[in-house]
Amino acid sequence: MTLLQLPTPKQEEWRWADMAALRTAAGSAPQPTGIDPASLFLDLEGPRLLFVDGVFDPARSTPGPLQITRWTPETTHPLGQLAQGEGWTLSLAAQQAASCIQVVHLGSGGESHVPAQIVLAEDAVASMVETFAGTGWANRLLQVKLARGARLMRSVRLIQSAGFVSIRDEAEIGEAASLVSVFLAAGGMASRIDGGITVIGKGAFAEMGGALLTRETQKQEAAVVVRHEAIEGSSRQLWRAVAADRSTASLAARVEVARGAQQTDGEQSLRGLLLARTATVNLKPELEIFADDVKCAHGATVGELDQRAMFYLQSRGVPENRAKALLTRAFVADALARIGEDTVREAFAADADAWLDTAL
Amino acid sequence: MLNIENLRAEVEGKEILKGLSLQVNAGEIHAIMGPNGAGKSTLGYVLGGRGNYTPTGGTVTLNGEDLLEMEPDQRAAAGLFLGFQYPVEIPGISNVQFLREALNSQRRVRGEGPLSGAEFLKLARAQADLLGMHHDMLKRPVNVGFSGGEKKRNEMVQMGILGPKLAILDETDSGLDIDALKAVGDGINRIMRAPDKAVILITHYQRLLDYVKPDFVHVLADGRIVRSGGAELAHELEREGYGAIAA
Ligand SMILES: Nc1ncnc2c1ncn2[C@@H]1O[C@H](COP(=O)(O)OP(=O)(O)OP(=O)(O)O)[C@@H](O)[C@H]1O
Ligand SMILES: [Mg+2]
Repeated sequence: MTLLQLPTPKQEEWRWADMAALRTAAGSAPQPTGIDPASLFLDLEGPRLLFVDGVFDPARSTPGPLQITRWTPETTHPLGQLAQGEGWTLSLAAQQAASCIQVVHLGSGGESHVPAQIVLAEDAVASMVETFAGTGWANRLLQVKLARGARLMRSVRLIQSAGFVSIRDEAEIGEAASLVSVFLAAGGMASRIDGGITVIGKGAFAEMGGALLTRETQKQEAAVVVRHEAIEGSSRQLWRAVAADRSTASLAARVEVARGAQQTDGEQSLRGLLLARTATVNLKPELEIFADDVKCAHGATVGELDQRAMFYLQSRGVPENRAKALLTRAFVADALARIGEDTVREAFAADADAWLDTAL
Repeated sequence: MLNIENLRAEVEGKEILKGLSLQVNAGEIHAIMGPNGAGKSTLGYVLGGRGNYTPTGGTVTLNGEDLLEMEPDQRAAAGLFLGFQYPVEIPGISNVQFLREALNSQRRVRGEGPLSGAEFLKLARAQADLLGMHHDMLKRPVNVGFSGGEKKRNEMVQMGILGPKLAILDETDSGLDIDALKAVGDGINRIMRAPDKAVILITHYQRLLDYVKPDFVHVLADGRIVRSGGAELAHELEREGYGAIAA
């Protein structure tokens, strides 16, 4: 792999990307992580895959319907196209279901690239959780195809202690199908969560959102484009960014409504919370609409903790740091509320709490 | 219990309290009345330790301890409760979550063990029942979408749960209908009328004082206590207004 192909901040879509952190992570020498991979799986019945430094570990995996193969995905995405070689695929036939799939990526340093593919036939249903832990540069590409009525619920948590995680999701959502992806970035790594989702069937639903929590000099970003090419589709991009110390969290969300994609309902909500005056939140909400009968609600705001609420909590006996933690957790709550499975949602909330304990 | 001597305080660089003195002993109920903008809420905030409300002179002790040196949460643990004129809405945090956190934080400071979720819920429900607040409202986000009267009732439920030594209640009676006024008045008497507790009621109206009979009534005007008397002073104020008295 050559780092020369990497995008640069001169390109508009990459201006907030921390490519320096990516290079450092890619060049880092592997070190023992001291993390027991078993501790990264949640207590859920379902197929499990473990990748250590991008290499599948069959001894500690139970793939069920998932398959491990090698291939070179087709994509034009500059980071996504680097994700080739050994990866995983899930194909479900019509009406089949696979729930609580867990994929854990543990890195010890250096770079790792894993492609993945999910293809759901008509009315098939799948749910999965992905966890990124350890360090190094973890680069992932996921390509999703949902046929009519198929449903995929995906929750991804980035809890690497350092390094860089880049995720590129590409999805095509068919008629009345639904894709919901929720991300939580609550580790010490830099990140780029990147999505290109296309609504190609009538009445499809696409949601991609989550929370980025940054501290110290960390930089994280999410950049998502949802493109509506069919009528009566709806999409939702709900992102929360919390930045402490001198960190930067950036959210770029774009909704494109193609000519003819009438009765599209696109919702965008980007909100940033600054826990320090030295922190930065960048928001870039964009709408590009070529159809006339469309409903697109969007909001983008950045603020600090509400001082009146802080005093109210403190005046009842809650110490300042706990008050900040409660208000910050409340701020990200809507972004994580979409996770359907209780165990998963609670695990994500616990990760956010652990972050708050260190950051405040 | 509370001893305020010659307290001066500024808000945003402007002096609002201009040498205010007040002594409140255990077992007493004091009413503070006074014209709009006199500094009544400011007094409550300064005693509660709100940022931007800066004491610039004088002393305040609560049971002998220097109140002004303490953080707001330490003041609460020391037994101070502030009933807000405008209770704050906090989306995303439920009443129970907030109050359990608050009570357990206070208990920790006092060296008492935390209440479990179940123990706390029992206490919270009992207090809600006593104030005629529906249990569902305990689960709702703090004050979000509550009517003005519901917010004030919620302040009293909080007071019942936290069991303070000294309550400063800032216009807890405003915005209440007749039934709610009675419920709140009864609540104050039940929770706070005890030999080891005390209350400062900030109010504009006699009607709350019909339920909660004050031992002393003070007039606060232009940052000072300008007149003090017994319960009859409130009637006099209601009849004659502040103009004649505060002048
Ligand atoms: N945050 C603030 N910034 C600037 N001025 C303030 C602030 N808070 C209070 N003040 C000013 O301080 C003065 C006293 O206000 P305060 O709210 O204490 O009055 P009050 O006696 O409670 O009045 P009311 O009966 O209307 O509730 C007013 O002139 C008010 O404008
Ligand atoms: Mg006031």
